[in-house]
Amino acid sequence: MGAETQESASAAGGRTVRARAADLTDQPLTALAVAVFWAWLVVRWTNDFLLDGSLAPRGTSFFPTAPIEFAASTLSGVAADLGVFGLPFRWLAGLVGFVAASVPYLPELATGVWVTVLLTVSGIAFGFVIAVPLSIARVYGGTITRSVALAYTELFRGTPLLAQLFVLYFATPLSIYIRELPAVGTGFVPAQAFWVAVVAFTLNSAAYQSEYIRSALNSVPEGQLTAARSIGLSKVEGIRHVVLPQGLRYAIPGWSNELVYLIKYSSLASFITVRELFEQADAIASETYRYTELFVLAGLLYLALVVSASLLMDAVERYVAIPGLGTSGR
Amino acid sequence: MSDPLLRLDDVYKSYGDERVLSGVSFEMETGDVDVVIGPSGSGKSTMLRCVNRLTEIDSGAIYLDGDCVTDADTDVNELRKQVGMVFQDFNLFAHLTALGNVTLGLRKVRGMEKSAAREKGYEHLEQVGLLDQADSYPAELSGGQKQRVGIARALAMDPKLLLFDEPTSALDPELVGEVVDVMRDLAAEGITMLVVSHEMGFARSAASDIVFLDGGEIVEHGPPEQLFENPRADRTREFLGRLRTEHEEG
Ligand SMILES: Nc1ncnc2c1ncn2[C@@H]1O[C@H](COP(=O)(O)OP(=O)(O)O)[C@@H](O)[C@H]1O
Ligand SMILES: [Mg+2]
Repeated sequence: MGAETQESASAAGGRTVRARAADLTDQPLTALAVAVFWAWLVVRWTNDFLLDGSLAPRGTSFFPTAPIEFAASTLSGVAADLGVFGLPFRWLAGLVGFVAASVPYLPELATGVWVTVLLTVSGIAFGFVIAVPLSIARVYGGTITRSVALAYTELFRGTPLLAQLFVLYFATPLSIYIRELPAVGTGFVPAQAFWVAVVAFTLNSAAYQSEYIRSALNSVPEGQLTAARSIGLSKVEGIRHVVLPQGLRYAIPGWSNELVYLIKYSSLASFITVRELFEQADAIASETYRYTELFVLAGLLYLALVVSASLLMDAVERYVAIPGLGTSGR
Repeated sequence: MSDPLLRLDDVYKSYGDERVLSGVSFEMETGDVDVVIGPSGSGKSTMLRCVNRLTEIDSGAIYLDGDCVTDADTDVNELRKQVGMVFQDFNLFAHLTALGNVTLGLRKVRGMEKSAAREKGYEHLEQVGLLDQADSYPAELSGGQKQRVGIARALAMDPKLLLFDEPTSALDPELVGEVVDVMRDLAAEGITMLVVSHEMGFARSAASDIVFLDGGEIVEHGPPEQLFENPRADRTREFLGRLRTEHEEG
């Protein structure tokens, strides 16, 4: 009973996260902010990884800090002149000062964002490829296939993700094999720890995704497969052409939660030395002692990623919507 | 002498301890329209589902065009290409348009090209009077329209035999007519149909034979005028009496 309650509570919590994000995405300002964020990221990555720093040297910000610092000091000057009434200006000056202090760290954080994005996208995509057969096995498999699939999901949902990362990284020779592969750890291709994390997130996310897809498949009425079989489709063809296209549409909202979770949980990869966003922020902070700036910045960047994901999934949901079927109508 | 199109030979079927079909035997010739009537739970749906092997029989045999289709080595998908089925609750593919519903089997089962399948799909939608709804999704159609798409979907496979399982029972009374009209047209075109239905108008005007099923047995089997006007068995008379009262009340 306890596990069940927790399960539904966390599912509900996830839904709220996304619902809030979806409210945000209704606002054109959010869309604009997300567009600016991605334009910056793409230009930054292109410059750093492909153009070899020809727009701005690697690690150097696109934005000069001097004018921002000047604005901050001007504002605090104004605040001082106004005495008690200068409080709002003092706050503003603090904010602008924060921006000025943050700007130099943005390039290195952008590299961390690249790793986070790559990790999340690979984990969710490879995980999906495993999750679909897994959930089909759960719903349509025989006793043995069903129990094997169930055992898999329970194992990966029932143990901490961090433990899975550690086991794969420290207790298996996986990272040694990966290190031998060409290109690993050069340019924009991250080092072996990253790939171990991809494997862990794939296996873990497959378990969670299969739960969402399984319950979505269960909500496709039985008559759909019967009708498919009655026109001569085999069971597998019926699942592929009739049940899956409907079930996957039902699965979108839950599946989107999993994407949001994975973006945030990808920070756990820092424990096995992957230089994703969180690890990058942590590394810079321990050199510069600018902990507040860096973790606030990292938090904002995670938020931007989560909002982007919500925006994307809303668009996907709208794009694949079919009258009377699935998500928007329910 | 040629084989009948469909022959059920002493078919038995039980679910657990419950015997649902006990020794059902009957034949249909090509072009026949047989209507099955009987109380709820008498095994009508089970009988239909045995014909296209959505349900497996326990003993006996079923022959389609002379071939035994209840052998273990029969290719069920091959069989189902030849036997279309129309369901009480339509079971239209909810993610496909009317045209998509009709062409899915053509594309994925018959392996037809997209354009050829579309052309044939339009033909069958026209046959049921729904050419103008080709691009509508099931949720956008009325019950009567849904069932007509269901019929078009089954027709598109050019089956030797069409099975109907209470095709009008889920419909509002005012929508029954359009479906019955389509079924009458098909009967007139010589399409072989095995129809579970209590639509008396259709049974009287289109049926070659009426089969009365009760308790998993065929109690009586004969042409509509005989079976409706001069039922031989008491059980038939009783059931028809009940059906008429229900009809008048409803
Ligand atoms: N899949 C099944 N499992 C168990 N019992 C079933 C199943 N399908 C039908 N039955 C039982 O078989 C009997 C006949 O059902 P059915 O053929 O649907 O009758 P009808 O269509 O004449 O109403 C009913 O008592 C029903 O409960
Ligand atoms: Mg029935």
